[in-house]
This record gives sequence, structure tokens and C-alpha cells, in this order.
Amino acid sequence: MKFWIIVFGLAYAGLLVFASLKSYKKGRSVEDFMLAGSNVGIILGVLTYAAALFSTFTFLGMPDFFRRHGIGAWIFLAVSDGAMVFFILWFGYHIRTKVKKMGFKGVAGMLSNCYGNKWAGYTIFLTAFLFLIPYVGIQIQGIAIFMGAAFPDFIPSWGWAVGIVAVMLIYSEIGGFKAIVYSDAIQGLLLLTVLWIIGYNCLSEFGGIKAMFDRVEIDNVALLSTPGPEGLFSAQFFIASMIAIIMIPVTQPQLTTRLVVMKSMKSMHLMAVAVGAFAILVITPTIFIGMYGASFLKDTVGDLPLAQQANAFFEETFLYRQPNFVGALALVGLIAAGLSTTNAQIFALGSELRGLLNMEEKKVMRITKIGIFVFAIISLIFSEMIKDQIALLARVSFAGTALMGPMILLGILSDRKLSDMIIWASFAALVVFLLSLGGIIPGHYFGLRLDLILFATLSAIAGISYLQGKK
Amino acid sequence: MNEDKRRKYWRILRLVAIGLCLLTFTPLVIPQGVHQPELLGVPYSLWTSFLITVALVFLTFLGTKVHRTEEEEEVEL
Repeated sequence: MKFWIIVFGLAYAGLLVFASLKSYKKGRSVEDFMLAGSNVGIILGVLTYAAALFSTFTFLGMPDFFRRHGIGAWIFLAVSDGAMVFFILWFGYHIRTKVKKMGFKGVAGMLSNCYGNKWAGYTIFLTAFLFLIPYVGIQIQGIAIFMGAAFPDFIPSWGWAVGIVAVMLIYSEIGGFKAIVYSDAIQGLLLLTVLWIIGYNCLSEFGGIKAMFDRVEIDNVALLSTPGPEGLFSAQFFIASMIAIIMIPVTQPQLTTRLVVMKSMKSMHLMAVAVGAFAILVITPTIFIGMYGASFLKDTVGDLPLAQQANAFFEETFLYRQPNFVGALALVGLIAAGLSTTNAQIFALGSELRGLLNMEEKKVMRITKIGIFVFAIISLIFSEMIKDQIALLARVSFAGTALMGPMILLGILSDRKLSDMIIWASFAALVVFLLSLGGIIPGHYFGLRLDLILFATLSAIAGISYLQGKK
Repeated sequence: MNEDKRRKYWRILRLVAIGLCLLTFTPLVIPQGVHQPELLGVPYSLWTSFLITVALVFLTFLGTKVHRTEEEEEVEL
């Protein structure tokens, strides 16, 4: 397999170099560097949005979600994504209309202007920082683990993690946002190809879709319905997840940016439809892979401690039980997925930082680049601290940033002079949510999830703020 | 298509999309512990939710036909 890893790895590296050089422009402005001149067309737009959305989480998390919790995983992600792309039509229109009036230097900067209060921007930046960094960290860690498995005793896992971050920083420094968009396009296609090859192989082992579900019915019938064997997929879980996922284009700055940089409203509309179709295409093979794990790896993986199951499942399904060149392609696909999502998130944090700075352009560019470097290093350190539960960590990341949804939506939709109430309420909600994540306060009240309660409360406060706002 | 019709269709699409999302959380799509009736061997909640996903993407496509774009087209972003 090593031979094929080197072949595909070099091909991928060559494409990254090409993307960086093609995107490099001497004397470019901050706008060119951070937003690719806001001139992204439909095909690149679809692939960059999809790649930022479907990350290592889709690669590692979704098959494992199907394996452990069953078919409800489809509702968790695919139905929610369907709702999200519909929401993009509406939200995309409003944010682009606002950007036309106010300009765009990141969501945090924009919201500071909308509310006339810098704390709106600081709260959004803090939330993005707190919830994106762990997510980025676990992606770096994921790649490092599998590179370690492919090249045992070559270098320690932290060495791989450092290498990944270094590659990411170099090509984003040379090519800026445009290079990230190109690398996303490569990753999007690679992700789709690899998942379908492996999904098809897994399905063939069963002998067809009906045979697959018949076998799973014998092995673990609870996987074929909700709430699944561990009882995770309750209606409440689905509702909270759908709200969090619908809020992604609003509250995850790397995706908001991708709506803003589309060439025209029409391109953005078509992009939304294509991302929906892409979601169906990319999530479908993860069902086959997950069911394969539930049946064929029931004992091999199922008997391991929970913390080791996800990685063992990936190694078995994507690497060891595939022809060598497919395993190698999967590994390179995983690296590409991790790199592009990581890069999108780190770069978005840089973009948010830029929006909070108010100084001469050259100085802003320098501080933003230093910021990107610092965020990458913090993610690297974090990646050594967390090891498992990628799907649930992704969900926490979505839920955490979703708390900012009501404040962002109110700021973007309203043309009234608004009070600061929603800013302080959002900040308080962030603190309460963090306390529950730390286990200091309970995560459920009166049988309801805390993230749902907080989101409903913030939505009500946003409604009151709007009604009280001066025209 | 005139503006009034566009608005009317957009309102209908929004209602259908919200209705489909709400339907997903009811026992009609996620009956607890039930996987029958199957469709081509696919468990009940999976094929119903798959159809809902396809319907949402199709509604998005229809939405692109009726949602506002004119204001944007005047200024190149």
C-alpha cells in the first residue's frame, strides 16, 4: 500500500502546489487574499461549500454513526442538510443584500456594525474560536493517527500533525482563499469518489441492498429503526441537530463567507441545490460502510473499548479490507478532507479577526496572517489532547455556534436600531452551554436538552428586541 | 412571472418545507423500534426520510425559480 500512498500523495501535493501558484497574485489586496475577490462561480462554489461542510466528519464520523446507532443517522445529517439548503435560499438573499450595503469583513465585523456595539463581534469571534478549534484539532489528530497506521515507526503521530499544519499554512499563505477554494474542489471530488468505491465494495460483500438489511436485521435489528441500539436518536435529538445544522450557514463563518463570495445571487441559488444533491450522494455510501461494520466487523470492532472502535473500524474498512490502491486513495482522501476543512476553519477565524481590526490595510493583513498562524498552532496543541468521538464533537461544535444564530439573524434581518439585550443574552447562553459541557451544570432540564432551551430563549429575546427596536 | 405570484409560490414552498421537516419528527416517519413496511428491502424510517431529503432538495430547486434575485443582479459582488 505504501507505494500507492506515495503515488497518490505526490499527485495530491502536486495539485496543491499548482492551486497555490495559480492563485498567487503579486500585490494582491486584502480582499483578494481573504475573499478571492468575491468572484467564485457555480462549480467551484458547490465544491468549496460541500468540502467545507463534509469533512473528516463525513469520512470517519458518519459510517461510524450508522454502525453504532443505525439508520437514524440519515435523518441526523441528510434530512437536516436538505432543510439547510432550502434555508440558504432565504438567508443567502438577506446576507448578500446586507453585504451590498455594508461591505463584508467577516461575520463578527459585520455584526459589530449592525448593532453599533463591538461586543457583538467579540462574542461571535469567541464562540467561533471556542467551537471551531476543538473540531479542527480532532481532524488533525484523525489524519495523524491514520498516517501513523500506514507508516508505523516512521515518525510519531505528533510529527504527522505538525507536517499537516505546516502544509496548510504554506499553501494558504501563498494562494490565500482562492487556493483553499481550489483545494476544496479537489477534496470534494476525492471524497465522493473514495466513499463510493468503498461503499460499493461494502455493499457487494452483502450482495445487494435487500441482502444487506436482511443480514443487519439478524445481527442487530435495533439498527434498522430509531432510536437505535443506544437510544441516541430521539425526536428531540433530531430537532436539536436540525436547528444546529440549519444554522451552520449563519453561524459557521467559513460557510457564511462561501455564500458571500459567490459571483451572483443566481450562482448562490444553484449552488444551494447542487449542495443538496451532493449531500445525498455523499451520505448514501456511508450507510453501506456503516452497515458493513455492524455486520462483518461486529466482533472484531464491537468487542474493543468504545474509544478505540471508531479508529479500528476505519482502519479495517477503509485500509486493510480494500485493494491496496483503494486503501491508499482513502488515506489521501482523508488527508485532503482534513486539510481543506481545517484550512477553511482556520482561515475563517483569520477573516473574523480581520473584521474586528480597524487600522491601515497592510497592518490588518499582517495581523490576520499572524492570527491564522496562532490559530493553527493552538489547534495543533489541542489535537494532541482529544482522541475520539468525532461525530458527537462535530455536533457539539454545530450546537455551540448555533447559539449565536438568533443574534446574527436579528442583526442581518433588522433595519431598526436594536438594543444590546440580545448580545448579553447570547454571551450568557455561551457561558451556560460551556458550563454544561464541562459537566458543572446538567445538560437537561424538565426533560429538555439545554441547547434547545437556550436556542428557544435566545430566539424569544431576539423577537422582543426586534419589537422594541426603534425604526 | 409577476412579483405577487412569486411571493405566493415562495410562501407555499416555505410552508411545504417546514411541514416536511416537522413530519420527520413524528411517529409517521420515526415510529420507535419499527422497521416495517420496507420498500425494496430498505427499512421504513430510512426510505421515508430519504424521500423527504429528495423532496427538500427539489423544493430548493423550485425555490430558485421564485425567490427574489433582481436587487442583487444590479450590483456585482
